[in-house]
Amino acid sequence: MSAAEPTTRAPGSPGAGAVAAPGAGHGWSGTGRFFRSELRLIFGRRRNQAGMAVLAAFPVIIAIATRIDPPTGGGGEADFFASITGNGFFVALAALSVEIGLFLPVAVAAIAGDSVAGEANLGTLRYLLTVPVSRNRLLAVKYAAIVVFALAVTLLVAVVGLVAGLVLFGGGPVTLLSGNQVGFGEGLLRLLAVCGYLTVGLSALGALGLFVSTLTEQPMGAIIANTILVVASQVLNAIPQLDWLHPYLLTHYWLNFAELLRDPVAFEALRPGLLSAAAYIVIFISAAWARFAGRDVTS
Amino acid sequence: MSVFHTRPALRWLVPTGAALAIVGGGAAVGTFASAAEPSLPERSAAQLLVDLQTAQLDGLSGTVITRADLGLPSLPLPSGAGAARLASLVSGTHTLRVWYAGPDQTRVALLDTLGETDVIRNGSDVWFWDSQANEARHSTLSDSEPGRPAGAAALPSTPQEAADRALAAIDPSTRVSVGRSTSVAGRDAYELVLEPRDEGSLVGQLRFAIDAAEHVPLRFQVIPRGTRQPAFELAFTHVDFDRPDPVQFTFNPPPGTRVIEEPAGPEPRPGKDHPEPTVVGEGWTTVLVGRLPDDNRPGAGGPDDAGTPKPGDGLRGLLDRLPAVSGAWGSGRLLTGTLFSVLVTDDGRVLAGAVTPERLYTVAQQVR
Repeated sequence: MSAAEPTTRAPGSPGAGAVAAPGAGHGWSGTGRFFRSELRLIFGRRRNQAGMAVLAAFPVIIAIATRIDPPTGGGGEADFFASITGNGFFVALAALSVEIGLFLPVAVAAIAGDSVAGEANLGTLRYLLTVPVSRNRLLAVKYAAIVVFALAVTLLVAVVGLVAGLVLFGGGPVTLLSGNQVGFGEGLLRLLAVCGYLTVGLSALGALGLFVSTLTEQPMGAIIANTILVVASQVLNAIPQLDWLHPYLLTHYWLNFAELLRDPVAFEALRPGLLSAAAYIVIFISAAWARFAGRDVTS
Repeated sequence: MSVFHTRPALRWLVPTGAALAIVGGGAAVGTFASAAEPSLPERSAAQLLVDLQTAQLDGLSGTVITRADLGLPSLPLPSGAGAARLASLVSGTHTLRVWYAGPDQTRVALLDTLGETDVIRNGSDVWFWDSQANEARHSTLSDSEPGRPAGAAALPSTPQEAADRALAAIDPSTRVSVGRSTSVAGRDAYELVLEPRDEGSLVGQLRFAIDAAEHVPLRFQVIPRGTRQPAFELAFTHVDFDRPDPVQFTFNPPPGTRVIEEPAGPEPRPGKDHPEPTVVGEGWTTVLVGRLPDDNRPGAGGPDDAGTPKPGDGLRGLLDRLPAVSGAWGSGRLLTGTLFSVLVTDDGRVLAGAVTPERLYTVAQQVR
């Protein structure tokens, strides 16, 4: 970790400012400043920026590779890839469908794992708690920042994919899975809805990750545990003999985002995924609250 | 809050309670939904049969789940061609969306995770769309043809179709009764139960849940003899009896799609160089007797060969993995599922039916 990396709140940043001004942590303005400071921490870290650059590189690689070696159209291409040559719009969908399998969840798992354990490890957690920021508010801000990060990386992949696709292949009316076409504007709306749905799924992972992060003071441990949970969920979901278990898995409903690309959209098909995510969020945020508010902060 | 401050361990009651409420609540809703028996006015089996046949269906749209557990060894099924994907309904769980606005306006969509296969009929036009192959097939039905598109597999795609076929099979060999009323896709339904009387049949019951108001089948189950668990199920999970928007039945192949025009009239079926199978018996215990093609070339199927090439080491290799059986009728290999049995004798005969293996042995002795 280089000294230049903004690993923690710099003097004068709002989080540190709360130390200097007792009472500033009360009320919404204090929380708002804490939240902004948290976002600056997440998006300002070099390692997080490097990770986001990797996430953004994938759609570009997909677009260029498809441009150089277009699919022959004989079938057998991975989903959405066959449609890329006709419409650059599909680079965004192809990139999302590839990255939701591993890269996006791992990125969220890393941020969530680091959120509380990272502060504890650096010894900044007790300072945060000595200023009048209640533990509940601290957890709320940490979780809100994770959700914002999940939305940001999902949109990042979609927007980079869209731009790369439009530059290399051009746009036009979007062919849906059902075989009919909608205008480019409605296509964009549907892409936005896909990003929203994926963010809900990733937020459920963020809740689980936040809970794991309150269990330990070792951020690497929490990050690795979160990553293993994601990969284990994906692997179990791929074993057909365990189909009784699949509806309970965190990642099971994520690919249902394709429902938004049918015509007409069957919104009831999205309900199980949203309910499952809500259940994960309720259980693990309350577990994180039980663990964090009750534990002794020693570092 | 003060309790949580003085006794922090009590906080764990909150996530534990939430988990129990969510898991238990979900399970309880499922249990109650299936146990809830709506009270409906009595209706006899005969009345239900008449209801089924006279139901005036203006239109419907909905989501259908199919579940099949035929107890077969998992065979490598060819994937890729759309027709083969429809045929994959014989195993596992699948979701279909259906739209119906009269017999000449229908659309069935088989949903894949990131793809879709549609069969759309609008008047005399039939479109077959496969999103993953990016391919559309078009054929035109002549008026005389009863409209089943060529690409569709020989499986019922709506409970209505399943009911029609089963009703055609009703004869003195079947016991018809009314089961407990039930609830399907949030609608009250009667349950009509057909039971083959013949002990040689592997089919224990056919159960139809019939909508109490619209008289349309909402669920169809095949229950093998001696079990309670359906081996095949076709059920609405969501149904709407409004006439769907006509736009659902119009299909224009999007640009960039490979469009294949299929010739009108009955398709010359490939792989028909071997004689038609003979039918032995009638009703539930019908047995089909056919003959293997002499050259057991890879890709030559049994009597149900639909021209789909089978991967692997050919038919012989597949047969050799099945258990060997022998008796007074000779010897051969036996494939048993929960709903049907297939016997391939060493002299090249193939016997198949929804019957016990003993019945196949009897037929094998009679028919040479």
